[in-house]
Amino acid sequence: MYDVIIIGAGNAGLAAAATLARKGAKILLIEKHNIPGGCATSFCRGRFEFEVSLHQLSGMGTPERPGPLRSVLDSIGVLNKLDFVEMEKLYRVVMPGIIDITLPTNKEELIKVLQQQFPNQRDAIQKFFDFVWQFFTEVIGAFYLNDPDINPKKYPLYYKYALKDTQSVLDEYFNDPLLKAVISPYWTYMGLPPSKLCFSDMAALLFSYVEFKPYHIKGGSQMLSNAMLEVIYENGGEVLFNTEVSKILIKNNTAYGVRTTSGQEFESKYVLSNASAISTFVDMMDDTVNQKALEQYKGSSVGTSFFTIYCGLDCDYHEVGINEETNFISNSTDMEFDYQLSKTLDTENSSFILTCYNVFDNEMVPKGTSQVVLVTMKYAEPWLKVPPHQYNDEKYRCAEAMLKNAEKVFPGIISHIEEMEIATPITHMRYLGHPGGGAYGFDQYVKDSTMFISPKPPIDGLYCAGSWYGAAGYQPTLTSGHSAARAILKEMRKK
Amino acid sequence: MDSQILRQLEGYEKVTTDIEVLKRYGYDYRLERGLAKKYVERFHPHAIDVKVTDIINETNSTKTLRLASKQKYMPPFQAGQYISVIVEVDGIRTSRPYSISSSPDEIAYYDITVRRVEGGMISNYLLDSIKIGDSLQVSAPAGNFYHNPIIHSNKVVYIAGGSGVTPFKSMIQHAVNTGTEKEIWLIYGSKNDSELIFNDYFSKVASKYTFFRYIPVLEEGAGTYKGFITKDIIKEIVGDSSDKTFFICGPQAMYEHLLKELQPLKLKPRQIRMESYGVPADVFSQPGWPKEISQNTRFVIKVRGKKDFTVTAGQPLLQSLEKNHIVVPSLCRSGECSMCRVKLVSGKVYQPEGVKLRQADRRFGYIHSCAAFPISDCEIII
Ligand SMILES: Cc1cc2nc3c(=O)[nH]c(=O)nc-3n(C[C@H](O)[C@H](O)[C@H](O)COP(=O)(O)OP(=O)(O)OC[C@H]3O[C@@H](n4cnc5c(N)ncnc54)[C@H](O)[C@@H]3O)c2cc1C
Ligand SMILES: Cc1cc2nc3c(=O)[nH]c(=O)nc-3n(C[C@H](O)[C@H](O)[C@H](O)COP(=O)(O)OP(=O)(O)OC[C@H]3O[C@@H](n4cnc5c(N)ncnc54)[C@H](O)[C@@H]3O)c2cc1C
Ligand code: FES
Repeated sequence: MYDVIIIGAGNAGLAAAATLARKGAKILLIEKHNIPGGCATSFCRGRFEFEVSLHQLSGMGTPERPGPLRSVLDSIGVLNKLDFVEMEKLYRVVMPGIIDITLPTNKEELIKVLQQQFPNQRDAIQKFFDFVWQFFTEVIGAFYLNDPDINPKKYPLYYKYALKDTQSVLDEYFNDPLLKAVISPYWTYMGLPPSKLCFSDMAALLFSYVEFKPYHIKGGSQMLSNAMLEVIYENGGEVLFNTEVSKILIKNNTAYGVRTTSGQEFESKYVLSNASAISTFVDMMDDTVNQKALEQYKGSSVGTSFFTIYCGLDCDYHEVGINEETNFISNSTDMEFDYQLSKTLDTENSSFILTCYNVFDNEMVPKGTSQVVLVTMKYAEPWLKVPPHQYNDEKYRCAEAMLKNAEKVFPGIISHIEEMEIATPITHMRYLGHPGGGAYGFDQYVKDSTMFISPKPPIDGLYCAGSWYGAAGYQPTLTSGHSAARAILKEMRKK
Repeated sequence: MDSQILRQLEGYEKVTTDIEVLKRYGYDYRLERGLAKKYVERFHPHAIDVKVTDIINETNSTKTLRLASKQKYMPPFQAGQYISVIVEVDGIRTSRPYSISSSPDEIAYYDITVRRVEGGMISNYLLDSIKIGDSLQVSAPAGNFYHNPIIHSNKVVYIAGGSGVTPFKSMIQHAVNTGTEKEIWLIYGSKNDSELIFNDYFSKVASKYTFFRYIPVLEEGAGTYKGFITKDIIKEIVGDSSDKTFFICGPQAMYEHLLKELQPLKLKPRQIRMESYGVPADVFSQPGWPKEISQNTRFVIKVRGKKDFTVTAGQPLLQSLEKNHIVVPSLCRSGECSMCRVKLVSGKVYQPEGVKLRQADRRFGYIHSCAAFPISDCEIII
């Protein structure tokens, strides 16, 4: 009999398991893959080791001025097992023939750079950033500092803007579409374009990356996953890899264990799922017990996945014109159209992120080489319609189109690729087990946020954490696992 | 969130109306039961149950086994990839990788072509005990030894040794079946001409199509090229090598020899693709192997939560685990794919060069058990 069984060793599952184990809970973590991490992993090809998902870690801050993630990692017990590298730039935006601009991470300098580029919007730029900071300062005061008396007088901006979409706020401050596009490429980190993206989410991203700087983990995200697993082992936790949970055992609306695909059953007082909401409530439950839980997801749609090209270059990145770690490349300022493209197989016109991992960390690659990853948002649906025997040809076709666009900004890049691996939404489905390969969970409209849907399902003893039960990304999923674990610990103490 | 606060937020009503409407017209996710898995299994089934539908004698020591799925569907693959054959022999469950020798456009079956390895466990079993109509289980296709049209040249030089010719048979047949823009050279090293696998097929293709040139290099007997494959032979056959991509597949010993021979050609690393072809059969002669440890040295392996057993030096950990009925999934058995990854809690293992370990795995003591040879008592976690 375990205290807690955790299904899935993604960020949230690992964070929860480590937190619980450290507090003396008897836990069993079950992962279907042979390695921990879910998205937070890496793989080797030739002389390269490719980072799968982590581009920019948010919320870290420095030891002197810690961000929220730093204290979560501390409380999970992994902070002293990891090294972090701070990025010096926020990002570079390139629209060939239209603009090429690099934003620094320092707020004042960032404003200055934008003002130089858009002199006739000087005041608007200053006002916008002041506004975002005021808005977020209210969020911190009300929620992070747990104000017992939250009201519209004290937090006027919050009450007015919390549920607004990003586009309408941008429109309120700016009229130049180019400026709006330069300020908001992070929408791709959330999976919805400004018109659909909750302003609170966008503000949180901007604030967090600027205040606490984007980071990168030395050795890649697998280092974090392995470190969390280490804490679990050190504290007597048990882990089963290559084991898939097929059923959550439920009696009287109370979860009491799990069954695996090989028929083994394990009992526990609590079950925590890091698997997708659809796997959890549909695949792992009978229709007699999942009604209420499923009811709240009826209006939610499965979120985006990605088309990713992992490249090992046989040269220094400068040689192909790469100077920054994070580069947003697009053909136009039309983010809405860009989003529509994510529902097609078209990569010829899609914008993409190009990350070069060794700009700030030369230990990521063998000497004289570079690691470059190109990612674009793609929903799974069109990929599921590709006949399997055309799948590989389609992969190459899409990759080639995207690389040709990269070639316009980084001439010569294709001729320097020594190793290449292409991942599609189907690849994500395979490794994560999530429908739609949704590494971001459900589409995160305002109505899908934790403001309206509680991550705690209406089944006793069952908890959920990860990108399907709130915001996606490293900081949110690690925090969600950590919080779920604390909620369970609190319950355990009560009994 | 506190509903008191929520209700006062500007725009609250609109969101709740949306939620109500969507709930009414929303989607019933119960319709998706098992669906994600089904989609993925079209590409990467956990395992495929196959039937041997034909056995073709290739040479005295080699046969092709034709494998067709009992479910009538075989996932797609790229010419050059392999499958892992999962078998139970004498009560031991193990697996071996075999390159697919048929073309990807033959979608009804996979051929594997197996050469007898003296003293080998599975090659002998497959050659001697398997009959037409027998059942086998295989993995989905895997491996990274294939032509990437974006980064590899259309002028390709295939260099094969012994049974390492099998992936090239797939590539060449695919080129013939689908028409190709490639120019292909196959340089095939073999002991003598009776050991050449697919010799008739390659000769026929070479005489019919101009895109393909076939050059057997024999250690003994007649033929234009004799001895081992050397830089001079390669230079003479392919001329300028700067615009070509080289694919190499064969036994470990061949790689060492060939890499030396290729050096003067000054190829860039991206011009050379090498298939992993197992771990060295004799680790005792490998660089870095501790001299004091001989074939008679014995160690105790403790598998946490399972059992302890004794092994003799020189055997990969994975093999010892299997002999002791502890099943660890495996694919490449060459230290490359990470499928057989386990955690080494204490003790030491010897890992031959070329094992592809992640930085984080190295840091936290993980090893690829197929390519890890214990050199002390060890404790591991699976
Ligand atoms: C290409 C890409 C780029 C990204 N870039 C960034 C970035 O720059 N910054 C950032 O913050 N975030 C980024 N993300 C997002 C971030 O990686 C994810 O949101 C986060 O890692 C999700 O964590 P999770 O806890 O939801 O678990 P997941 O990673 O979704 O893992 C779930 C785990 O559960 C296991 N599982 C599922 N079903 C079962 C079952 N039945 N039995 C047992 N185990 C099961 C799966 O195998 C998997 O290991 C990116 C993601 C991708 C794909
Ligand atoms: C990617 C890949 C593709 C491959 N494709 C093909 C292919 O197309 N065709 C093909 O024929 N083969 C192929 N192989 C090789 C194949 O997987 C097997 O390794 C081969 O068939 C031998 O397996 P076995 O079980 O018969 O030998 P094993 O029992 O594994 O023995 C292998 C060798 O080790 C020696 N050995 C065994 N036990 C010991 C011991 N206790 N101490 C010392 N030495 C020992 C044996 O004598 C033998 O020489 C491929 C390998 C890889 C990695
Ligand atoms: S089976 Fe591939 S690394 Fe061991």
